[in-house]
Amino acid sequence: MERDRLSQSKLDYNLLFILFLMAIVSAIAIHSAEATLPEKLQHVNFAYKQLQWYGIGAVVIALTMIIDYDRFFQIAWYLYGFGMLLLLGLELNVPGTVTIKGATSWYALPGGNFQPSELMKIFMIIVLGRVIINHREKYPEPTVKDDFRLLGKIALTVLPPLILLMKQPDLGMSMVFVAITGSLVLVSGIRWRIIFGIIFSGIAAAAILVFIFFQFPDFFHKYILEDYQLNRFYGWLAPYEYSNEQGFQLIRSLLAIGSGELYGKGFGNIQVYLPEAHTDFIFGIIAEQFGFIGASVVISLFFLLVYRMVHIALESNDLYGSYLCAGVIGMITFQVFQNVGMTIGLLPITGLPLPFISYGGSSLATYMLAIGLVLNVHSRTKKFMFSTEE
Amino acid sequence: MKKKKRAQVPFRLNILFFVVFLLFSALILRLGVVQIVYGEDYRKEAERTEDEIVSTPVPRGKIYDRYHQVIVDNIPRKAITYTRSKTTTPEDTLKAARKLAQYIDKPVDKVTERDMKDYWILTRKEKAEKKVSKAERKKLEQQGLSQKEIDKKVYELTLKRITPADLAEITKKELEIIAIKHEMDSGYALTPQTVKNDHVTDKEYAVVSEHLEELPGVNTTVDWDRHYVYGNTFRSVLGNVTKDGEGIPRERIDYFLARDYSRNDRVGKSYLEAQFEDVLHGKKAKIKNVVDKSGNVTSIEQIYNGERGKDLVLTIDIELQKQVEKIIEEEIMATKRKGRSPLLDRAFVVMMNPKTGEVLTMAGKLLTKDEHGKTQFVDYAIGNITSAYAMGSAVKGAMVLTGFQTGVLHPNTYIVDEPLYIKGTPPKKSWQTMGTINELTALQRSSNVYMFKTAIAIGGGKYRPHRSLSVNPEAFTTIRKYFSQFGLGVKTGIDLPNELSGFQGKATGAGLLLDLAIGQYDMYTPMQMAQYVSTIANGGYRMKPQIVKEIRKATDNAKELGPIVQRFEPVVLNRIDMKTEYIKRVQEGFRRVMQMPKGTAYAYFANAPYKPAGKTGTAEAFYDGPIQSRRNDPTYNLTLVGYAPYNNPEVAFAVVVPWATQGESDGINDRIGRRILDAYFKLKAERAKGNIANNTTSGNTETNTEEMNNN
Repeated sequence: MERDRLSQSKLDYNLLFILFLMAIVSAIAIHSAEATLPEKLQHVNFAYKQLQWYGIGAVVIALTMIIDYDRFFQIAWYLYGFGMLLLLGLELNVPGTVTIKGATSWYALPGGNFQPSELMKIFMIIVLGRVIINHREKYPEPTVKDDFRLLGKIALTVLPPLILLMKQPDLGMSMVFVAITGSLVLVSGIRWRIIFGIIFSGIAAAAILVFIFFQFPDFFHKYILEDYQLNRFYGWLAPYEYSNEQGFQLIRSLLAIGSGELYGKGFGNIQVYLPEAHTDFIFGIIAEQFGFIGASVVISLFFLLVYRMVHIALESNDLYGSYLCAGVIGMITFQVFQNVGMTIGLLPITGLPLPFISYGGSSLATYMLAIGLVLNVHSRTKKFMFSTEE
Repeated sequence: MKKKKRAQVPFRLNILFFVVFLLFSALILRLGVVQIVYGEDYRKEAERTEDEIVSTPVPRGKIYDRYHQVIVDNIPRKAITYTRSKTTTPEDTLKAARKLAQYIDKPVDKVTERDMKDYWILTRKEKAEKKVSKAERKKLEQQGLSQKEIDKKVYELTLKRITPADLAEITKKELEIIAIKHEMDSGYALTPQTVKNDHVTDKEYAVVSEHLEELPGVNTTVDWDRHYVYGNTFRSVLGNVTKDGEGIPRERIDYFLARDYSRNDRVGKSYLEAQFEDVLHGKKAKIKNVVDKSGNVTSIEQIYNGERGKDLVLTIDIELQKQVEKIIEEEIMATKRKGRSPLLDRAFVVMMNPKTGEVLTMAGKLLTKDEHGKTQFVDYAIGNITSAYAMGSAVKGAMVLTGFQTGVLHPNTYIVDEPLYIKGTPPKKSWQTMGTINELTALQRSSNVYMFKTAIAIGGGKYRPHRSLSVNPEAFTTIRKYFSQFGLGVKTGIDLPNELSGFQGKATGAGLLLDLAIGQYDMYTPMQMAQYVSTIANGGYRMKPQIVKEIRKATDNAKELGPIVQRFEPVVLNRIDMKTEYIKRVQEGFRRVMQMPKGTAYAYFANAPYKPAGKTGTAEAFYDGPIQSRRNDPTYNLTLVGYAPYNNPEVAFAVVVPWATQGESDGINDRIGRRILDAYFKLKAERAKGNIANNTTSGNTETNTEEMNNN
């Protein structure tokens, strides 16, 4: 395909503006959370550092946009291989790995700890898109068998990193990978019956697990879920009875958010002490101070962001571009849903930060990379005078 | 290759978007349930259980004298405290009290009957239940009251029906538990409440400290008691702090609560302790109690270590103060022994540096009877600023200067001192007829008539023997205006609360104007007299009397004082707008009083090596003291103001002895004046020789007049 590279480089200012609002929300929320942090973190100006990370993120976006995303298509497998290497390194405990709370998920870098799975999420989107495109080219008119074949290819691509992630162990991140895969499977055009079939078997599997849990608890504990993973479910479903760490966190988080009521307690009025206030539980900080209204505004901001991305995906006259957008949408949606959901008792507690808002350099850089991908797709979308499709 | 996009992709993307929409809607919905539907419950729970910050007291600042002798110190006292959380129930407190009773002894004298009844109900639940019958309970229920109100009524009924026989069941050991519980219940939630701080033995302290784990809310700390090192000396100016359990004064509760005090804090409630409360009161240590849902403290974080209150360094020389107080006591006793002074019960002395206004001594003693009828002296130093008396001729220096300033007198004006016969009043005269004299002699020999005639001239009147006299009432305003430039009749500006500005007569007759001229009409405080004589001594600068020299940061080092936070520089309140030559004349007159034969105080001061100057005063006054039956009896106030040395004054003083005699002059004012000056110069000489502990590197601050001009 021929493209006039210069005339095509347009920016999506709507998306950038939403991002700008996110940065403001983030800085305000982190700043207000600082007061409640433990003493050893008191001297760090997290809000300012977060804004610095936003600055770095802007550079990441710019760098991502320079290269045509077709190039990513071409080097997709190399990126995948690189990501796998990093994950394997963690599995093999090569020097430089960092273990926090029993999970070996980080490399120690001079600027702080680096989590390779963050990067791998983006690589996953890039490579899965390519798998689907390649399949589509090979089977322009896929049969049911072809669809299963595609599913098999996707599974083969996803499973190796997923297994490594489960072994770290990092349940939250694994679920993000599943979410990315899910959204790509949805848009890949696989027949609805197959998709429903997968969903149904998922439900059935869950039901069987519950059955085993109650009927054969020993077997369940031994082979299926570790105690620490089970604790999450206990803490989630019955926080007041199981005062383990997760239960405790949920109770506090519900107390913080609930007591914010409709209008919130006002900026700077934090009454409830929340653990990890500036990272995982930043949403609690927002909801306590700014109430239902403020919290809804933040959720709406994410919804607008996703809306904008869907728009870009629809606008794109290139299938691969649409797939990239769909992967990013799946990733961000799931993370927001998971993070906000866990603070209000909708989902079990995992260590996932709220995208763009929670403090954290490497995760913010990853989301910026994803935004860069989407903007890249947008900037290289050609407006056809005579569209045959739409 | 992938140029063509199949129609199903947009459709699937829309489905994806729809899923996103559903998920986000679920979030908002659930958020609404948590924040709006259950929001109020959560808010109440948050208010109930959330961790609050407990402030623990720190010692108050100390007070030192000008040579860094400690005047007010803190004595640590072991204390056992109890802190209730917001959810602590009476049962919890009882449990803690029971355990604590095993470890400590607690006097039971504070236990009230109500305490015992509460305890009885709490410990004998079944019996207590029987006190109010089921039928009665039913009746209450039928009245349509809420459960809370019913419970309250039932409790009240139960309380009423407990008989002495019931209470007799309570054993001695239980009484102790009640006493402990009484203390535990008396505080406010999240504020440490002292359970015992009197005579906590080392053993009790150690045992309780060991068992803190099983005593939730109980803590062992150190309390501080104010210790006044010099006992009664200067005591009334130092003021008081509220007693343990008294808390912050009710009338200023909002003021203190807004400043991060807690209700049971001990604060300065009078004079220096109150005036410098914000300096002496330290910054409390802050501890955050993180509480879980059931109100148990899960962790304690030290947020702020606290800071002991800052120290005050006074301008007072406590050694001199002590000696002066002794002199006052001895002289009062000596005079009373002569039997002519039944009303004499008090005397005041203020000594200050006339150049800086630093108060070196502010002594006042009051003779009272204690509860056994035994006479004793109490400190009444504060009377120097809170009580006023007719000062008599001591104010004549101000009167002569008023004459100069209004133009009715000029240096070396001669006036005839003769008895004045004014129609309708007894003859007005000096204590002896002096003939034609100038203002120097008038001061030296204390001529009343010289002052009378000056006042008449100011009032525009004309004296004609045996005729009535009329003067312009404006003369009162004129004279008072000039007097106030010396501090007479206005507040001196000293940094202490409740300062009196004196008393002004309301009536304006001609005779009263003559009385005003010789200090027998308006009343002034001893501190005002000291300020007045300082103003003459230093050549016309009215200095603000300073009682605090410096504020210093607290240190843990007992030997040294902390760095200076604030230094109080001399403050010139006003410069007398008179020619220096005029003041020189008055200074000369004052010198003659003490150093020339016929001077009224010559007999007492002629041989003083430090060459003082001053002015005596004898006021015909009316008794206004505590003995009701003698109120308004005529009596004499004896006063003396002065300074030394006359040519370069370093100390100015005022001696006031109200109601000193009923008859002839006694000389107690002069004797006190002589002895306090002797004491001052003797102390100075000894300090120079190093015989007396002198912690400061610099002695008296010399401030030259140049510097004061700049102020």
